[in-house]
Amino acid sequence: MVKSAHNLKQMFSRFRLPTLLVLCSILSACASTNTITIGGSYPSPLVPQLPLTLGVIYNESFSSYSFTEVDEYSGEDQYIINSGASQVDLFSTILPAVFSEVIYLNSLDEAAAYPDLDMIFEPVIEEFQIGLPQKTRLDVYEIWVKYNMRLSSPNGNSIADWVMTAYGKSPQSNFGSVDAGVNEAAIEAFRDLAATFSLGFTSIPEVNNWLQINNVM
Amino acid sequence: MEHLKQLIKAPLLISLLAALSACTTTEIDQFRQADTEISGDESIVILGRRQSNSYETELDFVECVGNVVAAGNDGINVIPEETFLDEMFPFFEPRTAPMRTDHLEQLMRQDIAVKKLEEFGVEYIVWLDGLTQRSGESGSISCAVGPGGGGCFGFGTWTDDSNFEAEIWDMDTLSSAGAISADANGQSYLPAIIIPIPFLARVESNVCSGMGQQLKSFLNGSV
Repeated sequence: MVKSAHNLKQMFSRFRLPTLLVLCSILSACASTNTITIGGSYPSPLVPQLPLTLGVIYNESFSSYSFTEVDEYSGEDQYIINSGASQVDLFSTILPAVFSEVIYLNSLDEAAAYPDLDMIFEPVIEEFQIGLPQKTRLDVYEIWVKYNMRLSSPNGNSIADWVMTAYGKSPQSNFGSVDAGVNEAAIEAFRDLAATFSLGFTSIPEVNNWLQINNVM
Repeated sequence: MEHLKQLIKAPLLISLLAALSACTTTEIDQFRQADTEISGDESIVILGRRQSNSYETELDFVECVGNVVAAGNDGINVIPEETFLDEMFPFFEPRTAPMRTDHLEQLMRQDIAVKKLEEFGVEYIVWLDGLTQRSGESGSISCAVGPGGGGCFGFGTWTDDSNFEAEIWDMDTLSSAGAISADANGQSYLPAIIIPIPFLARVESNVCSGMGQQLKSFLNGSV
C-alpha cells in the first residue's frame, strides 16, 4: 500500500513540469493579444487627372498607425490592428491617378526644394473604430475611420481642411478567422475612402474655389 | 416480431427525413418592361447590392448566378464581378454605385466611364439584391468522448429562407428592362445517432439555379 502510494507520488512529480508548462501555455494563449496587420491591394481610380503637382506628407503617426481594441470585460488589449502601411499604399495608389505628378515629402520644410509644387496634402487619422460580431451581435465585421484631410500651399498656408469618413464591412460567414474578417472590412473601408476622395475631391468648396482661382477647372 | 419492427424503424426514419430534406419550395416571378436581345460579342455584368448596413448580397451567390447564365449552348458572356468593380473603380462601390437608372444616366455623362464600359461591351447590368436567413432553430445535440470512443445524440432542425431580386438595366436605353424575383424556403434536419447525419435543404443553390436560368431566358428574349 505504501509502495503504491510512493509510485503514484513519483508519477505525479514526473509529470508536474510538463503539466505546468501546458497549463501556462493554455493560460497565456487565453490572455494573448491578437495582432492584425491589414494588407491588400487597391485599384487605381478611373478619374480625369488634374494637371497639378502635389506634395504628400505621411507623418509618423499616419504611416505607422495602429489601433488597439480593448476587451470591455477584462480591460486588456484584445486586438492590435496595424493599418498604417496599408493606408500609405492606398494613398500612394489614389493620388498619382488624381494628380499628374506626386512628390513624397518627409516634412513641409522639404517643399522649398521643389519649386513646381502646387499644393501639399497631409492625411491624418482622427478616429478608428472596429465592430466585432461577438460584441455588436451583427453577422458582420465592421471598420469605421474618420480622417482629417489637410491641403496647404507650398508656403504652408491652408487651402482646405476637411473631414472624411470611411466604412467597410465583411460578412462573418465568409471568413473562418477574425483576422481575415477584420482585414476584409478594413480593405472595404479604405476602398470606400478612395472612391469618395477621388470622385469628390474637386467638389470640396475650398478646393473647388482654389482650382477656379488658379484656372485648373 | 418486435425485433423486426425495431430493425425497420431506423431506416424508415432516415428515409423519411431524406424525403423531407427535399422539401424546398422555390418561386420565380418575372416582370418585363422592355424587349431584350443579346448577341455573342456582347456581355453582361452581374453585381451584388451592398448598400445595406445589416446584410450584403454574397459574392458567392453572384458568382453562382453568373456561372448558370454563362453555362450551356445559349450561355451569355458574363464579366466577373471583381474584375468589373476594379476596372470601373470608383463608380460601382457601395457608396457610389448608381441606385436608379437616372443615376446611371449621370454616370454615362462621364466620358472616362463610358469608354471603359464600351471596352467591356456591357449590354446589360444586372443588380442582384437579397439574402438567405435562418430561423426556427430548435432541438439539441450532445456529444461526448470517453476512453472507449465518442458519439453524439440528439436532433436539430432549422428553416432557411432565401429572397433575391434581380433588376436588369439596358445600357442602350439606360432604362430598366425588367426584374426577376426568386423566393425559396426549406427545412433542414440534423439527427445524430453516434454521428450527426445532415439532411440539408438546398435553398440558396435552388434559388441560384432558378434565377440564373430565368435570367438567361429573359436576356435571350425567349420568355
